Amino acid sequence: MRSMIPWLAAAALTLTGAANAQQRIPIGQLNDFSGATSDVGVPYGQGVADALAWVNAQRQGVAGRPLNVLAVDYGYQAPRAVSQYQAWARDRVVAIQGWGTADTEALTRFVTRDRIPYISGSYSAALTDAGGRSGRQGVEATPYNFFYGPSYSDALRGMLTWAAEDWRRSGRPGRPKYVHMGANHPYPNSPKAAGEALAAELGFDVLPAIVFALTPGDYTSQCLTLRSQGANYAYLGNTAGSNISVLRACQTAGVQVQFLGNVWGMDENAMKAAGAAANGVVFPVRTAVVWGQDAPGMATMRTISRGSDPTGNVYRPVHYLAGICSAMLTVEAMETAAANGGEVTGPRIRDGFYARQNWVPRGFEGVCNPSTFTAEDHRGTLRVALYRAVVTGDTSGGSVAELMAANTMRLEPVTTIDLPRRPDWLGW
Amino acid sequence: MSAMTPAGDYRTSYRADMTIMATRNSRIALALGIALACAAPFVLDGYMLDLLVMIGIFGIAALGLNILVGFTGQISIGHAAFFGFGAFASAYFHEHGVAVVIAIPLAGIATAVVGLVFGLPAARLKGLYLAIATLAAQYILEDFFARAQWFTGGVAGRMTESPTIAGWVAGRPESFFYVVIVAVILMFGAAANLMRTRDGRALVAVRDHYLSAEMMGINLAYYRMLSFGIASFYAGIAGALYAHYRLFVSVEAFTILFSIQFLGMVIIGGLGSIAGSLMGAAFMVLLPEVVEGLANLLTGSAIDRALRLGASISFLREMAIGAAIIVFLVFEPDGLARRWRLIKAYWKLYPYSH
Repeated sequence: MRSMIPWLAAAALTLTGAANAQQRIPIGQLNDFSGATSDVGVPYGQGVADALAWVNAQRQGVAGRPLNVLAVDYGYQAPRAVSQYQAWARDRVVAIQGWGTADTEALTRFVTRDRIPYISGSYSAALTDAGGRSGRQGVEATPYNFFYGPSYSDALRGMLTWAAEDWRRSGRPGRPKYVHMGANHPYPNSPKAAGEALAAELGFDVLPAIVFALTPGDYTSQCLTLRSQGANYAYLGNTAGSNISVLRACQTAGVQVQFLGNVWGMDENAMKAAGAAANGVVFPVRTAVVWGQDAPGMATMRTISRGSDPTGNVYRPVHYLAGICSAMLTVEAMETAAANGGEVTGPRIRDGFYARQNWVPRGFEGVCNPSTFTAEDHRGTLRVALYRAVVTGDTSGGSVAELMAANTMRLEPVTTIDLPRRPDWLGW
Repeated sequence: MSAMTPAGDYRTSYRADMTIMATRNSRIALALGIALACAAPFVLDGYMLDLLVMIGIFGIAALGLNILVGFTGQISIGHAAFFGFGAFASAYFHEHGVAVVIAIPLAGIATAVVGLVFGLPAARLKGLYLAIATLAAQYILEDFFARAQWFTGGVAGRMTESPTIAGWVAGRPESFFYVVIVAVILMFGAAANLMRTRDGRALVAVRDHYLSAEMMGINLAYYRMLSFGIASFYAGIAGALYAHYRLFVSVEAFTILFSIQFLGMVIIGGLGSIAGSLMGAAFMVLLPEVVEGLANLLTGSAIDRALRLGASISFLREMAIGAAIIVFLVFEPDGLARRWRLIKAYWKLYPYSH
């Protein structure tokens, strides 16, 4: 009989283990680790994954229930994301950490129907009109779509506000000329109309947009157009690879333009790849600080980073921090849903997003920017922090970490713009 | 690839020669198969049904391409563009007040007309030259989708609705599955019958030897264009079904890669085989899912740790899909349809297979 005891104990443990496993909260995570946007998808996805793993390890999940993170690499193929969504719906995920522009919009109706909060890596302004009240053509109510950071349009509005100020300060005569550059694609197009409208409002001459493809290539002719038009401020709307091609071509052609990058179009890795051509590009950053700077919340960030990098030496690009902030918003919304013995369901998590004003996840003070969501307005933040990429030397040797440590590359804070919450900008 | 008539085949009339289902058993098997498929939504979950729906939709499109490539001996690397045209057309018709169940066949007809226009070069060109001409069609249509705001909603894409039949909404995989089953039966039945007609045999004659066909009085230009029209019709129907299933149509989906994927389905399924088109579609839809499952098993396993694969697993997965297709083509050059025939023959003749 005595020999049975270990077996019984083992069986009991297995049973409790199974019971615990049943209580795990399923949550979906859509990654692009192998597709067209993997350059930024990898650090962002790693940030989300590390943050959720850290929540499981350090905070015992949400309300004592560990998270069961169902992560998938969909290679930036929207159809694959949609079929993956069906699989997640089967597993009854309560929330999804999403990714790209096309797949987020393809899933909008599904998540609204199935009431699953969807925290995307797409910051398209069309996703912010939660109540569907803007009356804009083609903009639908998106009560379950959230994202962390300013929308693409608001980020561009912030940069234009800075550009107008920059022009005034420079004391150059005449009106500044603004041009939108990018592929004919949902991502670069998303803030195009909003940017051109505000540019006109701020007294810019708005030049006809310049088109360049989403893939790296030879864009010398685009640079020559920039020069012949006499543009002063140019928005680079594409993702990093093709933006780098433009920056290099324009450097070779000797074009003097202040480039305005976009949130997924410029980061430390792109600076290394573009080298001196990236010097001077101004772009929006979603966190209050970047890796290597200090703030109260950076200690937590470094702890999370050690989850996938025990050495603690890896340099984490801006997208990694943004991924963590995004995941932590979801986690805290789930905690709100679970508070007072509540059930963690999609609608309750959505309400969790509305529970706080100027919301900074606990332990991330000074890193994640405050967000405020309401049932009508999912513009979490209108604060746009602008940084300038400064490259002072050759970036071909050494890793990003070494180049940043040696000050060959650095991110220089320019200004922080707080945009007004204009109702006519909702969903636009 | 018409199989040679085996020994012991005692067909004595043209009628017997033309029949689609040779024996009573095959008829029973078909009826049972359809009944079984109709029961699927009660057994399978939404994810499995979603895969089945995609197999059905891609199967219809692949069948269209098979009529063009496998039966007529033409080539097209712009099939995805026609698929996309059907999707946008159906969404557009629906936007203008046409019920979805009518918009789908309408979209098929509209796509067939577009296909006939782009099939014009096919009347004069063949082989690689035709491939390049259809490549142009792919890019012309893709660019049209990106710019024709009124028709496609531009690069932002167009939202559309689920089919509704007398108050019954086919909005979920469970319900849309029946829409697809009906479409698959209609389209595959039509194709099987087409190949028995005068026109169908003319297509095969054009493929087997165009000079002989012409000497026998077959109008080459007419049949080559007709084949393009039929292929586009199938692509249009499939695209329309896709639009009303995914509820969102975007130009991003209909790239040249997607066209190549259709060619892959046809080749893997079996050129010139009706049923093979469906098998090829099933292969191409299920393969990434299977490889994905294997990759998930691999993640965090002993092999992963030993080789330090980490993030490379997702790239290995993409390569594995390509490698699987190559291996398949090397060992099964005549496609799944032939393998299926061999399996059937094995059981039919067991134990005296030789």
